[in-house]
Amino acid sequence: MNVSKNVVKMLVAAGALAAATGAMAQSKGQFAMSVGVNQLVPKVESGAISAPALPNSLGDVGKDTQPVLLVNYGLTDNISVETALGTPYKHKLYGAGAIQGTGQLGTVKALPAIALVQYRFFTPDTPFRPYIGLGVTRAMFMKETGSFAMTALTNPGAGVPTTFSIDNKWTYTGQLGVQMNVDQHWYANVAFLKTRLRTDVHFSTGQYQHMKLDPNAYILTVGYKF
Amino acid sequence: MRKTSFALALLTAAVLTACGGNGPSAGNQTPKTKFSNQITFGDSLSDVGTYAVGGVAALGGGQYTINGNNTSVNPELTGKNYTVLVAAQLGLPTPCAAQTGLQGTASAGFSVPVTDHPECFNYAQGGARVTNPIGPGNKALDKPGAVSLGQMTVPVVTQIANHLKKVGGKFKSDELVIVMAGGNDVLEQLGEFSAGATAAGGTALATSLITQLAPGTTGGAATIQAAIVTESAKSTATSQSIIGAAITAAARNGNTGAAANATTIGNTAGAAALAAAAKYQSDQGPVLVKNMAQAGIELGALVKNQILANGAGYVVVNNLPDVSISPSAKAQSAETQKLIMAMVAAFNDQLRNAVAGEAKVLYVDLATISRDQATNPAPYGLTNTTTPACDLSPAKNPLGSSLVCNKNNLIAGDVSHYMFADAVHPTPFEYALIARYVLEQMTVKGWL
Repeated sequence: MNVSKNVVKMLVAAGALAAATGAMAQSKGQFAMSVGVNQLVPKVESGAISAPALPNSLGDVGKDTQPVLLVNYGLTDNISVETALGTPYKHKLYGAGAIQGTGQLGTVKALPAIALVQYRFFTPDTPFRPYIGLGVTRAMFMKETGSFAMTALTNPGAGVPTTFSIDNKWTYTGQLGVQMNVDQHWYANVAFLKTRLRTDVHFSTGQYQHMKLDPNAYILTVGYKF
Repeated sequence: MRKTSFALALLTAAVLTACGGNGPSAGNQTPKTKFSNQITFGDSLSDVGTYAVGGVAALGGGQYTINGNNTSVNPELTGKNYTVLVAAQLGLPTPCAAQTGLQGTASAGFSVPVTDHPECFNYAQGGARVTNPIGPGNKALDKPGAVSLGQMTVPVVTQIANHLKKVGGKFKSDELVIVMAGGNDVLEQLGEFSAGATAAGGTALATSLITQLAPGTTGGAATIQAAIVTESAKSTATSQSIIGAAITAAARNGNTGAAANATTIGNTAGAAALAAAAKYQSDQGPVLVKNMAQAGIELGALVKNQILANGAGYVVVNNLPDVSISPSAKAQSAETQKLIMAMVAAFNDQLRNAVAGEAKVLYVDLATISRDQATNPAPYGLTNTTTPACDLSPAKNPLGSSLVCNKNNLIAGDVSHYMFADAVHPTPFEYALIARYVLEQMTVKGWL
């Protein structure tokens, strides 16, 4: 929460600076880095947990916000490539559908590795430079952690805690963004990314569940062009 | 150079993602509420071995399911009752029967001293009703000459009283109390209902036969009546054999037309019998429904006045599963099945109303779940919801009950995912489904 507030302050400051001074921006051969936050919001459409289960036992996945470092490089004045580095996103898994109300059943850490090719509109010295991107994403899931409730709902009293794993996936991501140039070096950046992500959850009980996650990512960063 | 930097950045991303890539783990397996004990009141559906003694134990039985740990045959054949699974999941000791014994035929091994076990807190007994002390299998219902199992069938009202006496009159607020009953109130009343209908039909049959046949005889009414009584007493008696005996007796007493008109006379008498049986059922059906509503009221009152009022903090009240979907009910007429459904609904409605608004009570609607399982078995993992998994033929199962069912007297094939062990009792797999649902509901309630 504090992080978000600080980012907003920085962006406001950046905007003020942008208004005050002329600007230059991403151009051919230029290397830029920006830091900020990324909120990853899965847009969940859950399949039902396979038998034996209450019919329509669904899942839901919470959002998470983590710091992010964006690195991009101008191949031309208009075409750039970008990748993101960050800490893993910790998502809480909840019961839904027939098991709505069971609360948090587990957690998982997700780390999407992404490489984007972007097209930036207008010329590098434009103060507000919108861009679009398309990229390849490797969605990786780790530290899948169960709970008492997950065991209670799937294999109670057997003395064998239920664990689960989620399949890693290659997929693709679309991006819309705006870069606000403050001066020759500093800029603020806002981006929205949509990733197609369908994966399967495998439980140690032999059950599985198909999940459509299709996460939205909302990125706010402040950057520096080298 | 700059391209190299970018490549390095990508590489860093890859390294970062590789770090900390730990696999799955179980997480925190401790429930939110630390219960100190599990105390169960009920009937065969919760019984963990009240009758696992003497001849029943010798037959490899003791619980109302597929008995014994047969997980080497199939992982689902655990032999475990839902109360055992719930206790294990909550980290509580394995429940044991608070009373054991049998009061039946000694020669069959069914006479074993009734013993109380102070260290055990599962009071549920096969055959137990809510307040009526005579349930199915009780020696008071024995037929002369038949082998008696002699279940104690201590009713729930007495089970609770026995517990309170044992512990000094109070529940602890961190104990989990499970209550589940009503099934034997259905079964016992249905048994009486069926016997009553048969008796009404038999009386009407005899009356019709005598009315039709006696006028053609010389004072033969008494002889015909005697012939009917004699035939009816035989274990092989049917409507047809009784009609035959009456016609034969009439002919011997001078009714010359009796034999020639046998078909008409028989049909008339048979119709009268059916009509009388149907009238009995339509008259008595509502009485049974009313009685079940009363049993539901009584169980609800026990939960409130004996369990909650004496300090219990967590009470799981399982309602009565829908007996009308059981093989026992499916073997009966559509009208009787409808009646059973109405009896279950009347009981459950009153029970639910009685405990509604009680924050310390979790009312678990097993009736809806059981009905859903019967119509939609696949998601539950059930492969059969109509056939008993146990071979209940007299040669294989002397009691015709899952009480003495084990891996040695199952029907052929894989029965691991069947719903029913016998005509009314669950398999271990179905018990596991019940355990999951109870725990799911406890989780939603915020107890776990």
